[in-house]
Amino acid sequence: MVKKMRKASAVFITLILIFVLLVGVKDLPEFGNINNPTNNILSQTYLENTVLETGSLNIVSGIILDYRALDTLMEATVLFSGLIVIMLLFKS
Amino acid sequence: MIKKDIILKEVGKIIIPLVQIFGIYIIVNGHLSSGGGFSGGTVLASSLIIMHLIYGEAYVEKNIKKETLIKFISISLIFYAVVKGYSFLSDVYNLPHPALGPVGKIFSAGFILYLNIVLGILVASIFYIIFSIFISKEV
Repeated sequence: MVKKMRKASAVFITLILIFVLLVGVKDLPEFGNINNPTNNILSQTYLENTVLETGSLNIVSGIILDYRALDTLMEATVLFSGLIVIMLLFKS
Repeated sequence: MIKKDIILKEVGKIIIPLVQIFGIYIIVNGHLSSGGGFSGGTVLASSLIIMHLIYGEAYVEKNIKKETLIKFISISLIFYAVVKGYSFLSDVYNLPHPALGPVGKIFSAGFILYLNIVLGILVASIFYIIFSIFISKEV
């Protein structure tokens, strides 16, 4: 009985997730349209100003460690919390 | 543990320093060429993994203890957060921060070099510890 309940709830949760993701996909802008919000001034600004503002020749490094440094901090925190969970699970 | 071949051990003596130097090169040149803390850290971790596979866990433990690696990880994360927080604040409140320096040299680009080094240490330690946990236990 418990196993059947668990399977049924797994299927139910998966269906809900599929529905939510498909609703999200429906509202995405059309692929390749020139008026999409991703085609804005941002990339050109980065290409022109990164070397001047951060002094880093590698623009990717300049972006992830200067403009978007909090994002990189969170990536490192995700790695760290993953390590902590693994150490907890496999504790001898 | 099976006894390892002598050819493997001798080749390891040559390969491991080269891999480590390559990883340190990727990390330190992260703001000049492609690469950076994450990719250089994985190369460093792969050198530690090769060391573990060839010479066994006791050899790595003799050189770098697990507790030391965990201390490295914590100190690196705290250092990253403090330095980057100071960097953001120093832009807003006009606090002193290092000059950008000549573009194209190793010691340039303000905090980016130090953040890359810290990230490399963090990623290398984390990946090696995860590997050694997974290979010592039955998953």
